[in-house]
Amino acid sequence: MNKTLLAGLILTTAIIGAAIFGKFFIRHDLDEPLKIHYAVDSSGKGTIVAPPLPPGKDYPLGTDYYGYDLMTRILVGAKYTIFLAVAIAFARVFFGGIAGMLLGYFARKPAKRREPATTWKLLNGIPIFLVIWLLLAGLSINSSLSPIRLCVVMGAVLAAVGIPSVVISIKEKTELIREKPFILAARSIGTGHRKMIGAHLFPHLKDSFLILIVQEIVLVLTLFGQLAIFHLFVGGTVMTFDPIEYNSRTNEWAGLIAAGRSSLDVYPWILFVPLAAYLVLILGFQLLARGLQTLFNQKYTKPSRL
Amino acid sequence: MSKMNRIVLSIPMVFILVLIMSELPLLLQPDGSHSIRLDWPQGAASIKAYFSGIPTGDSFRFLSGQNTLSFWEQIGSYFIISFGYLACGALIGTTIGVLIGIYFSLSRAEWLKRTVEFLGAMPDFVSILLLQFLVVFVASKTGVVLFQIATLSVKEPAIVLPLVSSILIPASYMIRNVTMQMTYTLAEDYIGFAKARGLRKLYIVFYHALPNVLPFIRADLHKFLGILIGNIFIVEYLYNLHGLTMLLFSNVYSYSGYQFPLVVNGLLTLLLLYAVIYTLLKTYLWGWEKVLSR
Repeated sequence: MNKTLLAGLILTTAIIGAAIFGKFFIRHDLDEPLKIHYAVDSSGKGTIVAPPLPPGKDYPLGTDYYGYDLMTRILVGAKYTIFLAVAIAFARVFFGGIAGMLLGYFARKPAKRREPATTWKLLNGIPIFLVIWLLLAGLSINSSLSPIRLCVVMGAVLAAVGIPSVVISIKEKTELIREKPFILAARSIGTGHRKMIGAHLFPHLKDSFLILIVQEIVLVLTLFGQLAIFHLFVGGTVMTFDPIEYNSRTNEWAGLIAAGRSSLDVYPWILFVPLAAYLVLILGFQLLARGLQTLFNQKYTKPSRL
Repeated sequence: MSKMNRIVLSIPMVFILVLIMSELPLLLQPDGSHSIRLDWPQGAASIKAYFSGIPTGDSFRFLSGQNTLSFWEQIGSYFIISFGYLACGALIGTTIGVLIGIYFSLSRAEWLKRTVEFLGAMPDFVSILLLQFLVVFVASKTGVVLFQIATLSVKEPAIVLPLVSSILIPASYMIRNVTMQMTYTLAEDYIGFAKARGLRKLYIVFYHALPNVLPFIRADLHKFLGILIGNIFIVEYLYNLHGLTMLLFSNVYSYSGYQFPLVVNGLLTLLLLYAVIYTLLKTYLWGWEKVLSR
């Protein structure tokens, strides 16, 4: 266990804990926004209290433009952001991993490495979030579907677009392992395919799977953020006209960031608080991935000769 | 099949895939409040309309607000802006990335490597928001506006921050990639042999190791460019630059609904831009390899 891994574990556990038990720490519910009122303090001086309030005693993280407690919004939204990201990453690695392992194990090795067709290379020029945006924008802005249903649809789409890269990565790793002497030894004593995959391939890929899941979580979180910049929020977007505003239905973090962007210069905390939460979350998983990698790498890498 | 043939053959394939991709928003429609359905007829109709609109020119007009604009007249200036930022990002980012990557593979400053690695892993939009936030913060403390944080009018375009952002992301990706490949290469036996012959350290790095790292970078160019293009979408949107991707995003849904022809034309132009930048970058790397060959 190295320090990076420990730091990552602590951070992610804390945030996941906050997402699960957050509802016990809520001070101001989402249906009771701060109203404009006149407050008189002990010395008899009166002030008008109007949202948005900066972070202070009553509202530790401040309120947003309409007087809702930002801490409440973050705690409520956390479960959508985190659990959906984790679920999508799991789905990608589970299905992609199985397919990659089978393909890598059974596919006959081509005589020489074939280059992928020019068409596919060119299509790199269309970023993946644009495809998702095109597919879901019409569906999720002012949608008639419920937030949970939209989350499921979005999760399915995001999982599906990420599977190919997982398949390729696992397939390449499997092909490397297939060449190892112990596979040959197992085959020569008549090990069946099922046993071969279960007892020889999978144990060697376990580490890769674990790292891959954490890395995919970071990728999915990034994707959430990029989609949110273009007003596509997890669980649906409420678009109001006059003035045109986009708000998140589920208070999911990327949505809070995107909605807070317009307050950058005047009420910076509305943007900064969710951004900080999101950054800490990504940092946590990043540290976790890095720590795991160091842990597994210690066994294999050769030192520099210079 | 020769390379030229393959490229020519891939064009109709790409066109078909772009048509399918542009059709996606029409395809998936909510059906009541419980399910979604696939709307095939509407998609087919819009493709038909696109082809019949090519000779009449209807497919090359689009609505921007209430105005009908010609695609051919507008696209030039948008293309130039996107091209400028992409080219700068690709060339300068690659150069910085390779040089710092080499430095990182040699140095033992672990904390510096870690810091750059985590900064580089930050999503692109976060780094842009933080840069903007920094400028606002400095301005609110000192009253000095260092840079424009976004383009508000044609007269005062934001230039420095978009440029920084479009270089930062590719550079950090390149640094990571070069550091990794370089570290593997430096562990090879021929490096030890070169050292045993008494060659200078820098000579070994640039003339023995780097020529063996560059092919990996060249092989990775498509992924690199994919990241660049994804980045330019965010950069243009957050800095309000009038580039190609902004043209697409701000006009996809006009008040009359989804603009299918615009999306098709826009995506095709984007792919053209991709091909141009790819050629540029490949030539640049080819130059490096020629200079470094012994």
